[in-house]
Amino acid sequence: MADRPVLDVRDLQLHYRTRTGSVRAVDGVDFQVQRGEALVILGESGCGKSSLAKALLRVLPRNISHLGGQVRVDGMDTMHYSEEWFRRNIRWQRMSFVMQAAMNALNPVVRVGKQVAEPLRVHQGASKAHAQHRAREVFELVGIPPDFLQRYPFELSGGMRQRAVLAMSLITEPDLVLMDEPTSALDVLTQASIMNRLKGIKRDTGTSFVLITHDVATSSELADRVALMYAGRIVEHAPAETFFTDPAHPYAKLLMSSVPRLRQHERPQSIPGEPPSLAEPPAGCRFADRCPQAFERCGEDPPAFNVTDEQATRCWLYADGGTS
Amino acid sequence: MTATNTLARNLGRLSLFLGKRVLALLVTITIGVYLTIWIANMGGKVDEIRELQIRTSVAQEVRNNPANNDLPPNERNQLIQERVQNEIQRLGLDEPFIYRSGDYLARAMSLRLGRAQNMSSDAGSRQVYAIIGERLPATLLLFGTANLIVFFLAVGAALRLSRRYGSRLDRTVIGLAPSSAAPGWFYGIFLILIFAFIWPMLPAGGMVRVPPPDNDWAYALSVAKHMVLPVAAMVVSQIFIAIYSWRTFFLIHSSEDYVEMARAKGLPERLIERRYILRPTLLPIVTNFLLMLIGLWSGAIILEQVFNWPGLGTLLFQAIGQRDTPVIIGGVVIFAYLLAVTVFLLDILYAILDPRVRGGPK
Repeated sequence: MADRPVLDVRDLQLHYRTRTGSVRAVDGVDFQVQRGEALVILGESGCGKSSLAKALLRVLPRNISHLGGQVRVDGMDTMHYSEEWFRRNIRWQRMSFVMQAAMNALNPVVRVGKQVAEPLRVHQGASKAHAQHRAREVFELVGIPPDFLQRYPFELSGGMRQRAVLAMSLITEPDLVLMDEPTSALDVLTQASIMNRLKGIKRDTGTSFVLITHDVATSSELADRVALMYAGRIVEHAPAETFFTDPAHPYAKLLMSSVPRLRQHERPQSIPGEPPSLAEPPAGCRFADRCPQAFERCGEDPPAFNVTDEQATRCWLYADGGTS
Repeated sequence: MTATNTLARNLGRLSLFLGKRVLALLVTITIGVYLTIWIANMGGKVDEIRELQIRTSVAQEVRNNPANNDLPPNERNQLIQERVQNEIQRLGLDEPFIYRSGDYLARAMSLRLGRAQNMSSDAGSRQVYAIIGERLPATLLLFGTANLIVFFLAVGAALRLSRRYGSRLDRTVIGLAPSSAAPGWFYGIFLILIFAFIWPMLPAGGMVRVPPPDNDWAYALSVAKHMVLPVAAMVVSQIFIAIYSWRTFFLIHSSEDYVEMARAKGLPERLIERRYILRPTLLPIVTNFLLMLIGLWSGAIILEQVFNWPGLGTLLFQAIGQRDTPVIIGGVVIFAYLLAVTVFLLDILYAILDPRVRGGPK
C-alpha cells in the first residue's frame, strides 16, 4: 500500500479528430506519482500538457478519436470503468483538479462558499453545516478570509478566485491534486504566495500534486520530480534538483538555458525552430530538427534510457548508459 | 451583527434599485400613452369630426322638434348655434387639443378611463373600465397558458437537445425552426379547418359552449376545450424557434469553464444542467421570453379575431372599426400597464437571479 503509486500512467494516448486528420496530442505518456510527492510536468505551449490533464480526469472535448493506455489510480485501472463509476469514485474522491482558466472556473451566480463545499455535499453526502465548516477550514488553508464564503465570484479578485478554486480542490482531501497552469494568469507575487501555500499543504497533509505548467521558475518551488514534455511525449524524467541543475536531454538543456536568472550575465538562449506538428509527427526523435547534437540515429524513435537510477531520457545520446 | 448589517444594506440597495425601475417604467408608460392619445385622436382631427357630428345631430333634433316649427329660420339657427356651443363646452371641445391631451393623459394614467362613445359592455355598461374588465381575463387566460406552455416545453427540450447536439432529433428541430416565420393565427386557420371541420372534435371558436353550462366544472371544461386550438396555434408558431435559439444558447454556455469545472468535480449531470447551465443563463432566457411575449401581444388582435375569442384583442379591433377613441386609449393603457408590470416583475426576478444586477454598476 505504502509503495503503490497514487497515480500510475502507462502509455497514455489521446488523439483528436480534426479537419486535417488525427492530432496526437498525447502520444504514449508514462509517469508515476508517489504519495506525498509533487510532480511537475513541464512543457511549452501546444505540447499536449492540457490534453494530458483532460485525459487523466476524463473531461474530454467532443472531437476525441482515440483514448488509450492505462491510468491506474491507487492500483485501479480507471480505463476499464464506466463514466458514472469514474465520476463517483475518482473525481474529487481520489483526484481533484484545478483547471487552467481557474479565474472563470466559478459559477458567477452561486456563492463561492456553496461552490467550494459542493464536492463534499455531492460525493460524501455531508450536511450543509459540516460542508460549510470544512469550506471555512480550506479557505484558511489557502489564505482567504472565511467571510469570503458568502461572496459571489465577481466580488473576488483574480488571485482570490484562484485560491478559492484551489480550496475547492482540497476540500474532500483527495490523494492527488492535478493542477493545469494554476497560476499562469497571476502576477509574480501572488504566484509565489500561492506556491508557498501549496508547499505548506503538501508538507502538512501529504497530498500528492501534479502540476502542469510551462513556467520553469514557479514550478521549481514545488517540484520533487520533473517530467519534461515535448510534442506529446515525455522526453525526460528526473528528480527536480537534477533536472534544474543537470538535465540530460538536449531539449531540457536548451530549455534551462532559456530561463533568465537574476545576477547572471549570460543572456537567455532561445531554441531555434518550432515544435513539430502533432498531426504528422516526425518518425524519429521529435526534437531532432531543432537539436544541435542530432546525428544519424535520431531518424529512429528513441526509447527511454536511464541516465542514472532516477533520471531517464528519450535520447540516443544516452543509449550506452549515460555518457554525453 | 455583520449578517444583519449586510442584510439591511442589501435590502436598502434592492429597494433603491426597484424604486428607480418603477420610475423609469412610469416614464415609459406615460410617453407611450401620450403618443397613443395623439394618434387615436389624430392630433385633434377626431374632435373636428365630433364637432361636425354634434352640429348635425343638434340641428336634426331642433328641426324635428314640433315646438320649434313656428320659429323664424334665423332664430332657429341661433338656437342650434347655442345648443351646439353648450354641447361643445360640456365636452370641453372648445379648449385647444394640447390642453385636453394633458387632461386625457392624467385621466388615462390614473386609470379613470371614462365612458365609451358608442360601445357598451355585454352587461350594458358604457364605462370603458367595465368593457375592458369584461374582456381582459379571457386574454390573460389564453396568452398566459400558451406562453407558459411554450416556455417550459422549450427550455426542457432545448436542454435535452443541447446534450444531444448533432443528433437526428436535433437536426429535425433545427429544420423546423423556420415554421415560426408564420404567426399563430396562420396555423390557427388550418387547425380550425382540420380539427373543427374535417374531423370535428373541437369547437371552431368562441370561449364557451352556447348556452354556457351551469355547473362550474362543466364550464371550466368547456373553456378548456375551446382553448385547445388557439393555444396549439400559438405553441406551434413559437415552439421551434424558441427551442432552436435556446438550444444554441445552452450549447454555447455548456462550454463555459465553470461548466467544465463542474464536470471535473464529478457533479451529477442533472445538477450541472440545473445549477451550472440553466441558472447562469436564466436571465437572457427570461428576457428572450419577454420579447416573445410582446411579439405575441401584437398578434393577439388577429388571433382572437380568427378564433372569435372574446378578449382584449377583439375589443380593440372593434373599437378601431367604430373609432371609439376612449376604448382604444383604454385598451392601450391596459396593455401598457400589463407590459410594465411584466417588465417590473422581470426586474425583481433579475435581482433575485443575478447577484451582479442587485448592486448595479459599482
